[in-house]
Amino acid sequence: MAAAISIRNVSRRFGETWALRPVDLEIAAGEFIALVGPSGCGKTTLLRIVADLQAPSTGEVRIGADTAAEARRKRLLGLVSQRPAVLPWKRAIDDVRFTQKIAGRVGFDPAKVLGEFGLAGHENKRARQLSGGMLQRVNIASAMAHDPSVLLMDEPFSALDEMKREEIGEWFDRELSLRPKTVLFVTHHIDEAVMLADRLLVFSPAPGRVLEVVSVPVPRPRDPSFRQDPRFVAITGHVRNLLMHRVPEGRAA
Amino acid sequence: MPSDMALAETPTMSEAKASRLVSRLGLVTLRVIAPIGSVLLLWYLAIWFSGLPAFVIPRPERVLDVLWVEHSFIFENLLATLEVSAIGFIWANIAGIGLAVLFDVLPPTRHMLLPAAITLRNVPYIALISVLMLAFGDSILSKTAIVALSGFFPVLVNTLQGLRSADEVQLDRMRILNASWWQTFSQVRLPYAIPSIISAQEITGSGSIIVAIAAEWMISSTGLGYVINHAMQNYRGDEVYAVALLATGLSFVIYTFVHWLGRRLDWRTGDSRRS
Repeated sequence: MAAAISIRNVSRRFGETWALRPVDLEIAAGEFIALVGPSGCGKTTLLRIVADLQAPSTGEVRIGADTAAEARRKRLLGLVSQRPAVLPWKRAIDDVRFTQKIAGRVGFDPAKVLGEFGLAGHENKRARQLSGGMLQRVNIASAMAHDPSVLLMDEPFSALDEMKREEIGEWFDRELSLRPKTVLFVTHHIDEAVMLADRLLVFSPAPGRVLEVVSVPVPRPRDPSFRQDPRFVAITGHVRNLLMHRVPEGRAA
Repeated sequence: MPSDMALAETPTMSEAKASRLVSRLGLVTLRVIAPIGSVLLLWYLAIWFSGLPAFVIPRPERVLDVLWVEHSFIFENLLATLEVSAIGFIWANIAGIGLAVLFDVLPPTRHMLLPAAITLRNVPYIALISVLMLAFGDSILSKTAIVALSGFFPVLVNTLQGLRSADEVQLDRMRILNASWWQTFSQVRLPYAIPSIISAQEITGSGSIIVAIAAEWMISSTGLGYVINHAMQNYRGDEVYAVALLATGLSFVIYTFVHWLGRRLDWRTGDSRRS
């Protein structure tokens, strides 16, 4: 079976400066991959190359049988950015409908899904009337509204405080079990990545290079009590040590 | 008891509403009376202390009298000025917004045409008026051309700036959805540009009256500019003041109207119903 996303020898350089060293990765359908690393290591660059918002210097990305450009043209991708892309003059429900109108495809009933996303009674509010957590939920609903098979998320919860981030992370994990997607998720937060992802791509500081692909062998969605699980503690500790250069490098992707 | 409490609250609430209404009316009155009062005060002080003759600085009541007595003559010329201003204003917007959109669609045209627009902006209006007078004589074309030329640059610059102010996050969203140029322009770039376009209208709208009067003053036999010219030749300071008062009031009304309309169209302040 073809991988949902194939990243083959993808790199990006600006003149003599590497933004991203060559990366190879095969991602299965429905898999959740977290890209973890310090600022400037090329996580967002890789995400934008997969999204066809930036061209690679070498290599290619395949989404199923399509190139990244073809996948974008077929509207197979959904993008969730750190700053919500909710149009400030639209009501929450209209913003979700807007995605469906532009994409020409209705993935779900916006009112029903906003209700399931915990936004019942807030459908007619505009961005400035919603809290940060609510706004990010609308943003995710809008990104998923045309039922993309791949969801690309660039630090989507980093503007939220720790409590809210954990809460929305747990909610998102449950949502994905109802609406499975292949997810590429950029984050600075190791705990968040280990809670959500099937595998973590741990990047070195700039110029970005994959230090190790770390698996989290626990089925999703995960119970909040997983944070106290010895496996969680061991994996987060290992990733932390990798990022702090306290262990020799593992297998490179 | 709850019902008694509700009854007791009703007069208090209407009293509070009435009090708010009175204070709001008071504030509006103050905002209208204070500027008019201070202008009148300065005017009378200037008359008393300058010692200048009445044809240089007439009394305010004399100016109002001129506006009343000569109202049909002034009104006829006011209509001519309004016609020049309105046509020039529309052309300024067509040219300014049109060029800004062209630069957005075809970026190379920006490098080709923007320097020409900047050069035109820096040519003294007096010289432009003279050239247009030589070319078209005392016609509505020469006067509206001057108004359009003076107004199009602020519209162009503000529209360009507004179109570029669209949030990159929103533009990425449109790219990922493979939106067409028109969808991105009409649904994201243009709404983001509206506040800047409105600012340009505030400048161009009231400015078009002033520029139209200047053009009429130089080349025309109609309009408020012509009335000023005619009054100057006849040492009619009171008539000059009457036209100045009327033009100032008109510019102020246009500015206020555009500002009011702008607040309703601006998604940051208005209750837009777009969806």
